[in-house]
Amino acid sequence: MGGVRVLEQVNLTLPRGDFLAVLGPNGGGKSTLLRLILGLLRPGGGQLRVLGAAPGQAGGRIGFLPQFTEVSANFPITVLGAVLMGLVRPGISWPRGRAARRREREAAMTALFRVGLAEHAERRLSDLSGGQRQRVFIARAIVSGPELLLLDEPTASVDGRSRQEFMALLAELNRDMTIVMVSHDMSTVDGCVKSIACVNRTLHHHDDSRLTPLIFAEATGADLVAGCPVELLAHGAVPHRVVLDHDNPDCCGGRHAHGPKAASAGSQEPEKGGRAS
Amino acid sequence: MMEALAYDFFRNALYAGLLASLICGVIGSLVVVNRIVFLAGGVAHASYGGVGLAFFLGLPVLPVTAGFSTLAALCMAWVTLFSRERADTVIGVLWAAGMALGIILLDLTPGYNSDLMSYLFGSILAVPDSDLWLMAGLSAAVLVLVALFSRGLLVMSFDVEFARSRGVPVRFLHFLLMGMTALCVVMVIRVVGLILVMALLTIPPFMAERRARSLPGMMLLAGCLSAVFCVAGLYLSYALDLTCGATIIAVACVGFVISLAVPQRRRPIAPAGAGPQGGEPVAAQIEGRVGA
Repeated sequence: MGGVRVLEQVNLTLPRGDFLAVLGPNGGGKSTLLRLILGLLRPGGGQLRVLGAAPGQAGGRIGFLPQFTEVSANFPITVLGAVLMGLVRPGISWPRGRAARRREREAAMTALFRVGLAEHAERRLSDLSGGQRQRVFIARAIVSGPELLLLDEPTASVDGRSRQEFMALLAELNRDMTIVMVSHDMSTVDGCVKSIACVNRTLHHHDDSRLTPLIFAEATGADLVAGCPVELLAHGAVPHRVVLDHDNPDCCGGRHAHGPKAASAGSQEPEKGGRAS
Repeated sequence: MMEALAYDFFRNALYAGLLASLICGVIGSLVVVNRIVFLAGGVAHASYGGVGLAFFLGLPVLPVTAGFSTLAALCMAWVTLFSRERADTVIGVLWAAGMALGIILLDLTPGYNSDLMSYLFGSILAVPDSDLWLMAGLSAAVLVLVALFSRGLLVMSFDVEFARSRGVPVRFLHFLLMGMTALCVVMVIRVVGLILVMALLTIPPFMAERRARSLPGMMLLAGCLSAVFCVAGLYLSYALDLTCGATIIAVACVGFVISLAVPQRRRPIAPAGAGPQGGEPVAAQIEGRVGA
């Protein structure tokens, strides 16, 4: 809408089954990328395909976990009721018959069982802890059986111990679905994440997750505009070998092994494919 | 109170109060959970322009006010959707402009208007049968609309971002909600006046929100609380010879304070000895136990 250009020269293809962590500073365009994939924003140019369709057309094939802060804590709803919302269909949802409601209930219970909260189905959502609530929202996101799960800062409001359990849950879900997780929290990158995208106006995709020095990038607020934040840091105190594959040819003057993908592929905006690898 | 029920005007007052309770329970709950109380306040005050317009043109008050308020509500809905950062200011302007327009139009209307105050503070003891029918019709229309769009309204109220991502027509539902709020406000103006309309729209739903387990449950509970306040307020105003609208709101406010004093339901699986105030540590313990 004639505004600021948030993202440019973004080229990203995601294989099925990937677990991508999207990292970067505030205002760098992480959430914009997510909204583009969801079809809530339209790109100014370029091509974008999500699960082989135009963004916004995938419906329940995409599961989405918005930022925790969007949800009012006092809302009068049970755990089961919150999960059932994940089965809402696009457009006007006319009232459903009894059989349809029973089927939806069963699907919701299955999703709750999967996140380990089946016994809390009838409790008020506000009675649950922050970590439990996040798992309810995961259940809401997966109740429609999605192929792609999009998470916006899922661990921001979860304390350390619950965070580990939460990440273990995501790793388990990753067996069935592709996951894209926007995060501030570098500690989530450990373990289950399979690849990393650094977003700060442009996007750098790393096909590896051994990037613990990134913690410093956030902490120090390093000038990330000049190049890939990972590289800037990795060239600092940490041995460079933590970065295995890299897609920015200008980054290290060709001294290190870089991936074949160049950022100058011509696309102005994010490209997101659901093609099976 | 029984002897008072012999009077037509008092029976009508009771019916009007109960109808207003029903509709305030439903719409007030949606207003509260969507956090658009300020918007509803704007609509309520801007609707005064509709009252002035009706007097000026010599037309029936309720239909004209309903149309005017709906128009104002849709304007505000449009502003909140498309120029979000200025929305509260613009609503403040519409709020003031509607009231000013109403008063100026009343000034320009020849003759003395004794009814002026009744629309500010309510005239529940002077509800004619025709208004009662109109109220019943509006209530039925609003109830049918809410029932038809209940799922979309629920998902939107709970989490707009998620609703959008699933293709729920959030814009349409927002306009619909604002339109229904306007109709509700016009109805309640009759009962407690537009100055006090906010109290009936917010106090019962607020009390219900903390205890209900679903949005329909909250609507039902809020409606019942509202009905209790209306009946009790009417009785007290009759017994103590006080202004009806103000007494109803006074009763509601007392109920509000009592509900704050009564502790909320305990967390069912909180360990013994942990009070409801120990929220975070308790939650952490529960979390650990579930995960183990």
